[in-house]
Amino acid sequence: MPETLELLKKLISAPGLSGYEGPVSQLVAEAWEAITDELQTSRVGSLQGLQCGTGTDPRPKILLATHMDAIGLMVSGYAGDCLRVTSVGGVDHRVLPGQSVTVHGREDLPGLVAQPPANLIPGGDKKKPVAMQYLLVDVGLNAEELRQKVRVGDLISFAQEPLEMGENTVAGHSLDNRVSVVALTLALEDLRDRSHAWDVWAVATAQEEETMAGAKTSAYDLRPELAVAVDVTFGEGPGAPKHKAYPLGEGVTLGWGPTVHPVLHAEFKKIAQELEIPFALEPLPRRSGTDADALQLSTVGIPTMVVSIPLRYMHTPVEMVSLKDIKRAGRLLAEFVARLPLDYMDTLTWKESVSLS
Amino acid sequence: MKSLIKKFAQIPGPSGYENQIRAAVRAEVEPCANEVIVDALGNLIVRWGEKGPDGLRMMLSAHLDEIGVIATHVDKKGFVRFAGLGGVHPAYCVGGHVRFLNGTRGVISFEKESGLKKMPSLDKLFIDVGATSPGDCPVGVGDVAVFARKYQELGEKIVTKALDDRIGVVVLVEALRQLHEENLDSPHELYFVFSTQEEVGLRGAGTSAYHINPDLGLSVDVTSTGDTPKGSKMEVRLGEGPAIKVRDGGMLSDPRVVDWMVSTAEEHEIPCQLEILKGGTTDARAIQVTRAGVPVGCLSVPCRYVHSPSEMVDYGDVEDSVRLLVALLSDQVPQLEGEE
Repeated sequence: MPETLELLKKLISAPGLSGYEGPVSQLVAEAWEAITDELQTSRVGSLQGLQCGTGTDPRPKILLATHMDAIGLMVSGYAGDCLRVTSVGGVDHRVLPGQSVTVHGREDLPGLVAQPPANLIPGGDKKKPVAMQYLLVDVGLNAEELRQKVRVGDLISFAQEPLEMGENTVAGHSLDNRVSVVALTLALEDLRDRSHAWDVWAVATAQEEETMAGAKTSAYDLRPELAVAVDVTFGEGPGAPKHKAYPLGEGVTLGWGPTVHPVLHAEFKKIAQELEIPFALEPLPRRSGTDADALQLSTVGIPTMVVSIPLRYMHTPVEMVSLKDIKRAGRLLAEFVARLPLDYMDTLTWKESVSLS
Repeated sequence: MKSLIKKFAQIPGPSGYENQIRAAVRAEVEPCANEVIVDALGNLIVRWGEKGPDGLRMMLSAHLDEIGVIATHVDKKGFVRFAGLGGVHPAYCVGGHVRFLNGTRGVISFEKESGLKKMPSLDKLFIDVGATSPGDCPVGVGDVAVFARKYQELGEKIVTKALDDRIGVVVLVEALRQLHEENLDSPHELYFVFSTQEEVGLRGAGTSAYHINPDLGLSVDVTSTGDTPKGSKMEVRLGEGPAIKVRDGGMLSDPRVVDWMVSTAEEHEIPCQLEILKGGTTDARAIQVTRAGVPVGCLSVPCRYVHSPSEMVDYGDVEDSVRLLVALLSDQVPQLEGEE
């Protein structure tokens, strides 16, 4: 567990907002260098790591996708001594006022999100949270200095230090979806020491929070036979009722719905049961809201699976997750890959009648 | 260039019905082209130049189509109900004039019963073409129309319909012409794409990017501004030069492409502005996710009142957009960091 925690803390220490994944990609590359046979950066910034299988060439390939991009803010203009901002990815604006941030200008500047009083906002209502377009970021410079050091389009990332809570719980920004990158890293470590027939393409995808551009283009580039997306899902907590959320620390979720190939779902479930990895079935009636949506529809279509890690306070700077669930996701992924026989694709058909009980 | 803007803007070309405008553009570009293709979706693709050792295969895209309306029903008294082709806002419709592709003119009004205190939705609006019954109505279900508005110059500003994106089309045509006629050196193999069906989902750009498989893509389109009374909170202003897009509602420009565009503008002392647009997107979005991915950017011409019949651009911005595009295309692109 300490290694899992250290890796997670390291991966959220670097900015990597959607479209600007460079800094975090470098950290992931360091973590993957010793456990992959080849590393490459895609044309839109996804990190693609190959771990060769032991089967005879040409081997089938599985793509394991975890997005590494994070949500944050971007400078959209000036308002006196302050900055106007817009979001990168879907930021929950209600929790922003008072947060500390880092403005990545000509140099990194510490800043805070300020909220103008309601009477200064058109149609302002004290009872309602202030809309993103009226929030300001103050870095303590005057208007002239501000214009020299910060330009429109500069990124702003969240600056909270991670909080370790109890033995297994961590809170911090960007846990969506660096926790899954950690899970994938654990799976690669596991698979390094055991025989697996298939080639594994581990992909830390770019731009999931905006357009899924990373997953879409890597799937085209790598042409995998199968794909799995690992992402976070809604953790049970205040305001997240049981029928819409999954408890923290009590296992991963296995996606079920049109995005998910029913036989892959059944296979993951069987393995989870055998290994006594706790899980919940997560119905995904329309889009899954993960890279899987893009992966499934790439090229001629790819049988796809979604595994998720419950997380509280999604898209805020204080996301919360259990380390146990991260490890479970990693172990489940590794086991699925290790068990794939070379001729798996010959046997795979779309069967809906798999048992869900 | 003004006569070309006037000519292109006045030709009707709603999404999916780009024949007339495509023919007009083709006539202008054919003398300069190495090759001209019209593909299955009606995109006009013009190839120019050869790829040198330090060159790229580059796709430049400006869309031919404009927003319009399509007739959905003709009632007993000859009034025509309609739906939008592309993003048609009711606020810009009432009192407007439309022209159907068959030449029929009409005016748009609204159901008085609903009142005007609240903005009526499109289904409360109708087109009056002067008919009294379906029998004498020159418009039938499925007929399409564009908004009508003549070309005007207001000082340095140009106002007309369809500047979204005929102004981009003009910028591409003019850049191609300069490269060709002034015999400018370019290390690149350039594909000037005049794309179709942008307003209904970037359709033409997606398929032409798949066809071309470019190393780099740039769209040339309009962007909104934040310089009107109590307007949106946006830094782009008319008359302060072309805008280099950092992001819009549907795409994040590749930061390496943004840096290349900004440094080229600075090098050639061309005024420019950085753009963040909250709603809407351009062909670059479709190009970016094509095949294994394409680094993209967008050169935007600032435009007030986008998607109204009176779109307004600054002529100086248009000239500077051409200068910037020619500068970008004439020189090597610095190695994109992270590229193999």
